[in-house]
Amino acid sequence: MHETFEPKIVGFLCNWCSYAGADMAGTSRVAYPPNVRIIRVPCSGRVDPLYVLKAFQEGADGVLIAGCHPGDCHYGDGNYHARRRYALMHRFLDFVGIETGRLCIDWVSAAEGARFAQVVAQLTENVRALGPWTGWNDAC
Amino acid sequence: MTQEIETGIRIRVKKLLDLGEVSCVIGHEHGPRGHTRPAFVYDSADAERLVWDRTCHHNLVAYVRDKIATLARGAEPGSTPRVAVVARPCDVRSLNVLIHEGQVTRESVFVVGVACPGMLDAGDPEAQDGQALHCRYCTERVPVFYDALVGDPPKVKVPDEPWPGVAEVEAMPPAERLAFWTQEFDRCIRCYACRQACPACYCFECLAEQVDPPWVSIAHRVPQKAFFHIMRAYHLAGRCSGCQACEAACPVHLPLSLLNRKIAAEVEALFGYVAGANPDTPPPLATFRKDEELPL
Repeated sequence: MHETFEPKIVGFLCNWCSYAGADMAGTSRVAYPPNVRIIRVPCSGRVDPLYVLKAFQEGADGVLIAGCHPGDCHYGDGNYHARRRYALMHRFLDFVGIETGRLCIDWVSAAEGARFAQVVAQLTENVRALGPWTGWNDAC
Repeated sequence: MTQEIETGIRIRVKKLLDLGEVSCVIGHEHGPRGHTRPAFVYDSADAERLVWDRTCHHNLVAYVRDKIATLARGAEPGSTPRVAVVARPCDVRSLNVLIHEGQVTRESVFVVGVACPGMLDAGDPEAQDGQALHCRYCTERVPVFYDALVGDPPKVKVPDEPWPGVAEVEAMPPAERLAFWTQEFDRCIRCYACRQACPACYCFECLAEQVDPPWVSIAHRVPQKAFFHIMRAYHLAGRCSGCQACEAACPVHLPLSLLNRKIAAEVEALFGYVAGANPDTPPPLATFRKDEELPL
């Protein structure tokens, strides 16, 4: 079953760095897995933890949050807030049964097209190994 | 011990109301069905109604904010209503959280602090040594602040072994953990009693009931119930004082405190923060340090 399993990954990318980084990956013709569905947000600090939960609830197998490197936030400190939020959420999701490997938060600058490809490839690989996220749906 | 606290509360409350220092006192009274329930006392003659025993599980801080708002509506312009609240150490920490978040001002609350002997287990008060689990492991017997203290700080021995619960769930393999939570969340009846009992849940419109956008559908199914509980637990990150009023209020006895305790433990490990312990420390998720190394 897992041979044919293609993970669905929702990617929240910050407008100023990571979205441009993804663009860079495209314009530089860097190949990366097409599993990520990108949603552009103003800042990684804009990503409410509920977005992540909602993504999992609506059938995503993995979630990627990418923003500017710490110190480079367009708004000054959005990504510092995001860092705290998701350091906590990572551990909490694991506790309630959503494996840590399904959620990835990373920093990708506008110039790092290759790095974006690498982050997506790594996450896709992790999620593929974990299998589809059926959430709590099996029981109901 | 509890008799002494009860008498102390009554004497205090009578004095406060007689002197007109507060317009309302929030305490506990005996309800018609043998349980204790929150009581609002406006007249010193009614102070005799107030009781305190080890089954007073309500965190009365949950009523402070709304009571002040209600009193303010009928008050003279410019005057600020003041209420007194009977509070255990954990309740006072949740009051501290509310003060920090600007929901209540310190001046508007008179805290009748209780030197807490520990509560009885809400699920099984008849049990041998029926002390509630969180009280058995609690080291805080005197509130972090108070305007009056009743009772003598009890000397308690905290068990040497680690507090059970969280570690057991952590030790499960992921699939088993998911099965465990699925089973637990499935029992939820979505009555929101946990939310109503919680002093930190004061949103005017809860996301669980918001219809536009519909964050959580009204379906009575596990995904929605799980979403609600995870959302609530995460909203309480760094804010939950661990009073466990939610668990005591839960009609199906969900282990809600496991979620809150897990987050509280992580918050303390990552950010060195205990909810409400120090009024001067900013809440962990509203601040940051540029140089911190966090595992992501």
